[in-house]
Amino acid sequence: MEVLVELERVSKSYEEKAAVRDLTLKIEAGSMFGLLGPNGAGKTSTIRMIVGITLPDAGKVTLFNKPWASASLARVGYLPEERGLYKKMKVIDQLVFLGELRGLGAAEAGRRAKTWCERMQMADSMDKRTEELSKGMQQKIQFIATLLHDPELIIMDEPFSGLDPVNALLLQDTLLELKKQGNAILFSTHRMDQVEKLCDSICLINRGEAVLAGGMREVKSRYERNRVIVQYEGPDGFLQHPAIAEYKSYAGHAEIRLKPHADAQDLLRQAAATTTITKFELVEPSLEEIFIETVGGHADA
Amino acid sequence: MLRNTLLIAKREYLERIRSKVFRITTVLVPVGMAGVAILGGIGGKKMEAGVQNLAVVSNNAELAQQVKAALGNGEHAPKSIEVVTQPTDADIAHLNQQVSDHDIGGYLKIDDEAGQTTPVATWVSGSSTDFIGKSQMESAVTDGLVREQLLQRGMTDGQVKTLMKDVKLNTQQVKNGKAVTSDAERSFAGAYVLILVLYGSVLIYGINIARSVVEEKTSRVFEVLLSTASSDDLMLGKLLGVGATGLTQMGIWAALMVGYAGSALAATQGIHGMNSLGITKIELAFFAIFFLGGFFLYSAMAAALGSSVSGEQEVQQFSFILISPLVVSVVMMMYVMQNPSSPTSVILSLLPPFTPIIMYMRICAQTPPAWQLALSVVLLLGSVLAMVWLAARIYRVGVLMYGKRATLPEMLRWLRYS
Repeated sequence: MEVLVELERVSKSYEEKAAVRDLTLKIEAGSMFGLLGPNGAGKTSTIRMIVGITLPDAGKVTLFNKPWASASLARVGYLPEERGLYKKMKVIDQLVFLGELRGLGAAEAGRRAKTWCERMQMADSMDKRTEELSKGMQQKIQFIATLLHDPELIIMDEPFSGLDPVNALLLQDTLLELKKQGNAILFSTHRMDQVEKLCDSICLINRGEAVLAGGMREVKSRYERNRVIVQYEGPDGFLQHPAIAEYKSYAGHAEIRLKPHADAQDLLRQAAATTTITKFELVEPSLEEIFIETVGGHADA
Repeated sequence: MLRNTLLIAKREYLERIRSKVFRITTVLVPVGMAGVAILGGIGGKKMEAGVQNLAVVSNNAELAQQVKAALGNGEHAPKSIEVVTQPTDADIAHLNQQVSDHDIGGYLKIDDEAGQTTPVATWVSGSSTDFIGKSQMESAVTDGLVREQLLQRGMTDGQVKTLMKDVKLNTQQVKNGKAVTSDAERSFAGAYVLILVLYGSVLIYGINIARSVVEEKTSRVFEVLLSTASSDDLMLGKLLGVGATGLTQMGIWAALMVGYAGSALAATQGIHGMNSLGITKIELAFFAIFFLGGFFLYSAMAAALGSSVSGEQEVQQFSFILISPLVVSVVMMMYVMQNPSSPTSVILSLLPPFTPIIMYMRICAQTPPAWQLALSVVLLLGSVLAMVWLAARIYRVGVLMYGKRATLPEMLRWLRYS
């Protein structure tokens, strides 16, 4: 796969505080990349260096296999975390203006803006002034503005914050579709459930440093499946098995954490011998658990 | 990139032109100006009226008569002048009563004792400040005294009149080596108009630019913009857009003025077309150059101001910095008018923030050497660009700092970057 973004040992500090330290990452075309981390970890600082709003103090940013150049930005769609729009402008004028700034002709920008507004279910708001719209609606305008020029690389900083579930789903589906078309998508978030569903690869940063990076499957496989959920009918003597570190037992339902490197299969055999098992599931750790485990008590969030 | 600059300029221009504020001020300012002119006219007439009734009190009857005549001859002659000679205490008390009752505006008491070289004159009136009355009084007493003395020395009334005739001063100005009749008041009228227009437009549109920069910062639109356009594009675009708005509005007002000057209504007031305002074509060209140069320089300064402050209130607080070079120019005007070629005037006229008013003043007073003119224009235009560039840097660094001050090395790294 073609690599669209490459950061090589990038560092950035503001006055005394290091925002990003020695960060290396790669984003491939046709993939969705999650940049995770607690608040203040350096997600926004990283993104800003990719879109050239700030410069790295050290290290190299490569876009589309070329050293960073402002000309490359025509192929990038960027949605900043702190979003702003011209309050007094009509929605459609605003979209056309932003589209033109990204190189589209006025007519083409207008046509695309209309199509996108329909797709995002806000066609009847096109002639309203931006300040008349709700925050969620304004956010949708910003998505459209980000996507209007059909960028190969889409960068969104906390795109889901402030969206209601319906609109979050709409955005999620749109992003998945864009990914299917071969676009690369980078988004930052601290909402793990979305990352788990959407991302092909992740990079978890804490205090400016990458603490965990790689493909989603690969990252998860690094963590043991040490949680077991058992549903059973009958005696619960198997819960005293030596492989179990701790457990919570409800009526016919137990949530178990195994000791490191314990043999889950042996537990299953023992349990099956003494009681009726209706469900035995070896659960992989959720990203949220990995996140908390990795960042630990250090997170400022 | 020129395309981005123009796009941003167009957006700024259209947003402002379409705004209610634009429509309202376009109509209201001329209406307001007309109102001020009419009120000023009424007020002026009232002032000219001066003291309506007064009395001249003196122990020297002849002097009192002469002062009365001098007062009556003056530009703003009082309606009635009563002469009281050899006043008694009762007379004075009566006059004081009349002043209190506003029957008379005041009385002029002249003590001409035999031993004194000059008489002592006292103006007694109801108000403590009555300057128009005072200067009029002084010249009338002096005048009356001279007439009285001349008559005493045996001159006839006719001889005195001929001798005391006012001399009108004509002024001439050397232009291109020839002395030509000039009208000092008229040629400086141009400078006053320039100051007024420049001052007004900086106050309205300059502050407007600073505000819109601050607004962009607080609404955080800039981050989307900066991911495609450079901060130079943004600043230059903003400057051109707001500048074009200002010029459109002032163009409308100027057209109204020209229309008015050529109209029949103006003819009744002694104005026949723009020519009668006494501005030559060359002066008009320099007027345009210095106005535009000054306008854009101050606008760029306003943009830099907007970039470096964090809120709208600070714009208000710091706007005096923006205005101060204009204030200095106004303070220096009289000096430059009288010493157009002194080193101070020359240096001041070459410093870009002062160039528009001071150099224009010098042009009105005495044509400066061509190289100084050319240099001042080059410096002025150069400083506009430099200011835009600087404003763009401050903006770029300032908006991303979140209240942190940019360090010098950081600033320097921005300079390498476009």
